[in-house]
Amino acid sequence: MNLSMFKKALSNPLALAGFIIIVLIFVLAMLAPFIAPYDPNEINVKAILLGPSMQHWMGTDGLGRDVLSRMLHGGRISLLVGLVAVGISTLIGILLGAIAGFYRGWVDVLIMRLVDVMLSIPSFFLILAVIAFLTPSIINIMIVIGLTSWMGVTRLVRAEFLSLCEREYVMASRTLGARDYRLIFKHLLPNSLTPIIVSAVLGVAGAVLMESGLSFLGLGVQAPQASWGNILTDGKEYIQFAWWLSLFPGLAILITVLGYNLLGEGLRDALDPRSGHQK
Amino acid sequence: MLKYIIKRVLWMIPLLIGISLISFFIMHLAPGDITSNETAFNPKASEESRQKLREMYNLDKPVIVQYGLWLKRLATLDFGKSFASHQKPVFWQTTDKDGNVTKGLIQEALPITLMINLLGLAITLILAIPLGIIAARKYQGWQDRSITLFNFVGFSIPGFWLSLLLMYWLGVVNNWFPISGLHSLNYESLDTWGKIKDSLSHLFLPVVIPSITGLAGITLFVKNGMLDVLHQDYITTARAKGLNEHKVIYTHALRNALLPLITIIGLSIPGLIGGSVIAETIFAIPGMGKLFYDAVLMRDFPVVMGILTIGSALTLLGNLLADLMYAWADPRVRRGVVKG
Repeated sequence: MNLSMFKKALSNPLALAGFIIIVLIFVLAMLAPFIAPYDPNEINVKAILLGPSMQHWMGTDGLGRDVLSRMLHGGRISLLVGLVAVGISTLIGILLGAIAGFYRGWVDVLIMRLVDVMLSIPSFFLILAVIAFLTPSIINIMIVIGLTSWMGVTRLVRAEFLSLCEREYVMASRTLGARDYRLIFKHLLPNSLTPIIVSAVLGVAGAVLMESGLSFLGLGVQAPQASWGNILTDGKEYIQFAWWLSLFPGLAILITVLGYNLLGEGLRDALDPRSGHQK
Repeated sequence: MLKYIIKRVLWMIPLLIGISLISFFIMHLAPGDITSNETAFNPKASEESRQKLREMYNLDKPVIVQYGLWLKRLATLDFGKSFASHQKPVFWQTTDKDGNVTKGLIQEALPITLMINLLGLAITLILAIPLGIIAARKYQGWQDRSITLFNFVGFSIPGFWLSLLLMYWLGVVNNWFPISGLHSLNYESLDTWGKIKDSLSHLFLPVVIPSITGLAGITLFVKNGMLDVLHQDYITTARAKGLNEHKVIYTHALRNALLPLITIIGLSIPGLIGGSVIAETIFAIPGMGKLFYDAVLMRDFPVVMGILTIGSALTLLGNLLADLMYAWADPRVRRGVVKG
């Protein structure tokens, strides 16, 4: 993927919309310490459950904390968890998929059976079970989401490798005596990057949803640290009195995930001539 | 067909062994002795139940022996007893020597989750199939574009947030639907019709919300399936011989377009079972998801392990059923012409 491909991808209006959304959210999250009007963890007993106003744009929560400030700081967590988790799962997926697709034989059988096993365990159960035995923390959540979502990438990379290995240029390179790592890293991997990037971008969307779900259940990011998911937990608690506690974090998750989904699908349409139905 | 079934069932054995291995070793992730870790969080576990846990998992023996013994008990469907909820059996009912029957936790929870998911799936299909057909027929028209937009939002919306919003709007503000549990407090005093009405109104939100979030995927799938089929030669033939469009779409195209849907439904089972955790927690539905979540919070190991294993086995079973249905519906698969 080079600059011209990136430009081509962004000429797709969906991808462009997704890209703009994600950049905006990143900028807001990065600037959180500077633009947040209050300390996100500052408790103010005189300002409990205030509705949105000029002082508190998104109102305050049950401890009088400013929701806008918590949203901005929570955004950092959601974005970080999404990126790191997908980084982990993509690395594992590339590694296992490359081994399976390149060496075939019993390694391939073994890896693909492992994929089948992992796919048959309901992933949310698996994640909850692992977290039950570890302590919930941001690092553990990123690792656990990463370790339970590599199966798609593995299948993808393996399929790409299997088909690329049949190409003449790979055979030619092999005949010329290229070593395995050269074949894998110079010839096969660069030509498999497009689908990997698309699946990684879509994967971030899934990881953000997963993190917010876990935090919502109280098994993700722990209070007092804010995340969009655990602000929603408070939202559920106060749903009869404080709609703003439920509305804003959910909208933020929706917009972020939508951004990644739009970018991912847009990239797929723009970069992969096989996809879509331009018949 | 029989050969296909046997092959397909035998293929599940290595998967089941893999699942049992993963479930077993997750238990050993906990730092130190699981009995001490667990009791640190669970005040209800007495020294006696800790001892029972040690015996149950043979913690004094080497890991590989522990696994073998655990597997042996699994083979007889003995998942042990919960220590958080009064020693109830995890999986199926037991009868003690006085003839008292104690129902199993999964035995009670599973039908509820299955019912909610099957109802939800039915609603999803009823809505998704027509939407997918419309999107494919009006491809790139405004109908298709609005359905695509709807799909993107459907893929991206957090189900638990939608639940909260609808709970607030339909349950709290308008008070049209009850927002928690399966029955009202006065359920037992209602007549039959009242009981049905009461159950339906309790089920409405928990059933409808997952089916809305699941709608996007299935709609997209039906649309793509239709688009693929509509460009095939036999459809052109059907049109060329003068069949009306209605007949071409609904009797020729639809049947082939919906075929892969069987597989997708089979593949979506783990998501449905796993997804039930959040929905059941929000609406206080005593199904598998809530049981699992409570067990996780209580560090109730036998229940966690039991649900993990049963949930995975159900997934395998669902996939098996989907494959068999596919083979039944598509003669090419069962005769081994193409791989299903």
